[in-house]
Amino acid sequence: MTAELRPLLPEIVLIVAAVAIYIGGAFLPARGTWRWIAAGALIAATVLLWNHNPNASGDLARYVRWFALAAGGLLLSLGAKPLRFDGTPEYVGSLLLTVAGLMLAAGAEDIILLFISLELISIPTYVLLYLGRNDAAAQESAAKYFFLGVLSSAILLYGFSFLYGATGSSELSAISTASPSFAVFARLALALIFAGLCFKTAAVPFHFYAPDVYQGTTHANAALLSVVPKAAGFVVMARILVQAAPGMEPYSWAIVLAAALLTMTFGNVMALWQDDFRRLLAYSSIAQAGYMLLALAVALVPSGEWDGLGALWFYLTTYAAATIGAFAAMERLGREDHRLDAIDDLAGLGRTRPATAAAMAVCMFSLAGIPPLAGFWGKLLVFGGALNVEAPASARWWFAVAAVVAVLNAAVAAAYYLRIVAAMYFRIPLATPPADGGRGAWFAAVACAAVVVGAGFYPGPLMRAGDFRQRQTPRLDVGAERGPSILFRQEKTTATPTCPTAWSGGDEKSSCPNTLAYCLRRRLYYRGRQ
Amino acid sequence: MLSAKTLLILVPALPLAAAAVAAALGPRVLRGRSHLPVVAALAASFIAAVLLVYQLQERIDLEEKPVATATLWSWFDAPRSMPPPAEGSVETPGRGDFNVSVSLRADPLTAVMFAMVACVSLLVAIYSIGYMRGDAGYWRFFAYTGLFVFAMTALVAADNFILLYVFWELVGLCSYLLIGFWHERPAAATAAKKAFLVNRIGDTGFALGIFLIWTTFGTLDFEGVFSQAREHAGDWRLTAICLLLFCGACGKSAQFPLHVWLPDAMEGPTPVSALIHAATMVTAGVYLVARCTPLFAEAPDAQIVVAAVGGLTALLGAVVAITQTDLKRILAYSTISHLGYMFVAAGALYGVAAGVFHLITHAFFKALLFLGAGSIMHAAGGVIDIRRLGGLRRRMPVTFWAYLIGCLSIAGVAPFSGFWSKEAILFELHGRSFAEGGVYLLLFLSTLLGVVLIAFYAFRPFFTVFFGEEKIPPEAGDHMHESPPSMTAPLVVLAFGSLAIGGYFEWTHGLADFLSHTPSFDCLKRLDRPEIAAADKWRIGLFGSALSIAGIAVVAALYLRPGKAVERLTRAMNVFGLYSLSYGKFFIDPLYDALLVRPLLGIARLAAWLDRRVIDSAVDAVGRAPALIGAAVRPVQNGLVQLYALVMVLGVLVLLGIMLL
Repeated sequence: MTAELRPLLPEIVLIVAAVAIYIGGAFLPARGTWRWIAAGALIAATVLLWNHNPNASGDLARYVRWFALAAGGLLLSLGAKPLRFDGTPEYVGSLLLTVAGLMLAAGAEDIILLFISLELISIPTYVLLYLGRNDAAAQESAAKYFFLGVLSSAILLYGFSFLYGATGSSELSAISTASPSFAVFARLALALIFAGLCFKTAAVPFHFYAPDVYQGTTHANAALLSVVPKAAGFVVMARILVQAAPGMEPYSWAIVLAAALLTMTFGNVMALWQDDFRRLLAYSSIAQAGYMLLALAVALVPSGEWDGLGALWFYLTTYAAATIGAFAAMERLGREDHRLDAIDDLAGLGRTRPATAAAMAVCMFSLAGIPPLAGFWGKLLVFGGALNVEAPASARWWFAVAAVVAVLNAAVAAAYYLRIVAAMYFRIPLATPPADGGRGAWFAAVACAAVVVGAGFYPGPLMRAGDFRQRQTPRLDVGAERGPSILFRQEKTTATPTCPTAWSGGDEKSSCPNTLAYCLRRRLYYRGRQ
Repeated sequence: MLSAKTLLILVPALPLAAAAVAAALGPRVLRGRSHLPVVAALAASFIAAVLLVYQLQERIDLEEKPVATATLWSWFDAPRSMPPPAEGSVETPGRGDFNVSVSLRADPLTAVMFAMVACVSLLVAIYSIGYMRGDAGYWRFFAYTGLFVFAMTALVAADNFILLYVFWELVGLCSYLLIGFWHERPAAATAAKKAFLVNRIGDTGFALGIFLIWTTFGTLDFEGVFSQAREHAGDWRLTAICLLLFCGACGKSAQFPLHVWLPDAMEGPTPVSALIHAATMVTAGVYLVARCTPLFAEAPDAQIVVAAVGGLTALLGAVVAITQTDLKRILAYSTISHLGYMFVAAGALYGVAAGVFHLITHAFFKALLFLGAGSIMHAAGGVIDIRRLGGLRRRMPVTFWAYLIGCLSIAGVAPFSGFWSKEAILFELHGRSFAEGGVYLLLFLSTLLGVVLIAFYAFRPFFTVFFGEEKIPPEAGDHMHESPPSMTAPLVVLAFGSLAIGGYFEWTHGLADFLSHTPSFDCLKRLDRPEIAAADKWRIGLFGSALSIAGIAVVAALYLRPGKAVERLTRAMNVFGLYSLSYGKFFIDPLYDALLVRPLLGIARLAAWLDRRVIDSAVDAVGRAPALIGAAVRPVQNGLVQLYALVMVLGVLVLLGIMLL
């Protein structure tokens, strides 16, 4: 094994394991074993990732790779109950591939590899959607997702080709330093890439698939859809819009901001009308994407003490935990032949299944952003960032308006999240759910609720891990002369967060402007060092 | 040997742990044995407190600073929230770093309070084993008691104003829970609410005082604030701080005009009245003023207010107590009046130590009286009206003797405990009045009058209940006999304390010397204290004692021999309406009801109506808006994949259009 491939070992392990499971599954349809092999592969990838560069934090790629492994583990656990028909090897293999795809998307230095990694998420997802259920609704949802997914891939690829045309390079680092020969091409490229990725993140108007697809598939697939493609979409957006092409379009924040407001408002008002749990969470995931887009918009302008990308990833992480937890709780409550779909099915759950109801309630409260749960800190960071951008007055004004709209949206969102909680605790039980969804789902629900509560009471470590401003990320020198190649960024320098120059002079502690986030972050940072 | 720091943590921590155990295991496992963890923890706590006193004394002997601190964790740690002041401008105070730690601190004042609280609460807890036996909320009672002792000990050990405020509220909560212990009784529930609300008024002042401390001093640590107090001498803000803090003290310590909650608080179980509403919690206000002596020392106007309010309350409480017929209410008003004495002492500044001395002795004799009253009540089937009781001397000998000692002590007859502490207060007040005259002279005279009244109200129920013809209410059934040993044993111990503790402290000078090493009292040494001849001390003591004995003699004459004397006296007093005024408690409650409660209720009803009819409908209308928007856009999501793709493409076109234009 050559040295250049060492950083890629976790992904390689996952892909090899997935392929082995696919092939082996054709001959040995032992259902349970494949899950354990997949779990083993995830653990092996974790160990490799840890060995490769332990204890480092603050790098986007590293953060997302850890995120992908954690989410993959939870999703595997959530869907661990063996399917009745014989699809288990394909199911776990596809899951591993999507995780590998997300990890690759986080680290790919070349837009071709980037595209491939996104497809590595999309194509197994199409398979997964077919595997989950065997009825007409499932077929319909899989077909819809396939058609629209292919369309979005085409748009994205078209955007990539314009990007290559404008800059003459397919490497992100080269793109970031290139001066585009045709400014129009660069803008076209950004518009198309953003549109293509908006599909992955389920942002308006590329969100239409989500409610139909979620409703037509299983809880496990819905959980996967609401986390993995969204994370991939946002990491690629972050890497191209924020890191590689910040100078190409000075007003891209305005578009992102508009998309953010549209997305969150649309998702929330539509969610108010839903009675189906997965459909409701689909609109919830659309609305939540709106908040994340707001964080992305913050990241696109100079934002002083507030770190837009950090907020985005903190938000996405807490959202992922709460969403997977909610789906896992639902999965756990049902049985293979008795899936819980409607919110009415949750009536009186607080009495019939108190522990599951508690986990679900915690996730709902977190999604609604109620302190002290993790979702609250996510919203705090995002809204605070929007209120503290260091941009020209007009932009500041727009961001302030956006923050107000976002807060109003959060209030609207609370209505439907709390409707679920109210159904569980204030309604009379209609029937006791079978609660035979498997220990894996139960574990995933409890683990997610624990993460939500833990990160709520002690958000410091997560915030620190996602503080991407602390580190410069120069390229790894291995293979630098060989032209475009698969390269991973590696972190080298560590610097403490510094004060903006305007306040410099005198004791650092006493002379920094102290917005709330700054205080928070700073406190957490120093405490972590002690 | 445990270190002072460990002891300091143990004293509050043990009752908390016991409360948790009682609450967790009480309802199912311990049931009738729920007192075990609490009593054990309180005993350990008491031992720890005594050890702490010895350790601090050791440090004093070694001429070290007798202060132990234990910082548990940092609670708030926010850097300064403002940019530094512009070049050349003067730094405004109050913009420092906001650092608050959960830290405890023991100095002699704290240690003395520790020992007193732990001792009285231990005795009351033992007493409660008998008193509360068979109550449905047995475990609840002991859990609350443990929680209260935790809060109270932590209150006196808090190292900064924020923490003090937290435990201040926590003791208030425990008080609320215990007053309303029998919450199924409407009177108890109302009394609990009243206590909570009236306390809230005082606490608002306290909170404002803390805010002002922050903006004035830029810190909330006791040491930081007190060390800066001198620089602010004569500053109006310092006076305002003192008055606001005193406002909080008035609420908690039931001083006029916020005293109205304490008599009603007697709806709670009698051990609670003894522990919280006589011996410990209500003295928190006195503790606060004593703790903040450095601030009051620089604010003479505030001293006068404290002393005047204390004096007025002392007199008012005593006058009301004379005519009441409910034994517990008499004791409640006497508590109000004695707290007034402590505030007079604290207001006289040099008398702070005397005030604390009185606080300690009062804790013993008042707890004794309350528990004695509880013993009577227990035997009499809950009857506590002195007109319905009589001649219990023979039936309850232990209670009788204990109660007698309590009465002698409260009346200030030499050589009982109350005598020494009351004499100390009179002495200090005399010194101040001698030096300044004016208000203090008036206060001195009124406290002398109070001494007679105390003797009167203490012995009137005593003679009525224990002497005369035997009256046993029908509620008592055939239970009219001495209480069980678990109840009489604490009575005996407390009686011993009421008998001896004051004299012991006075003769050995133990308490005064120990307290004088409290850092908070250092400021007193700087002031030149008016010189008074030692002979004055004896003269005052003898005079005070003589007044007490005179008071007792009058009561004995009126009540020991059945006759018309009492009636005649009542009628004579009522010529000027004095009797009704006293019996009606100066009509303060109806006055509040008419002036405050009813108007406020009216406003509340109006607001509730507005809220329901106007605001709620407006909010509902707003709340429907998002759903309506949702309904409007719903048709787009029609399930047709062609349309979805079309909208996506349109979206791309719009994006491209924006980018290119």
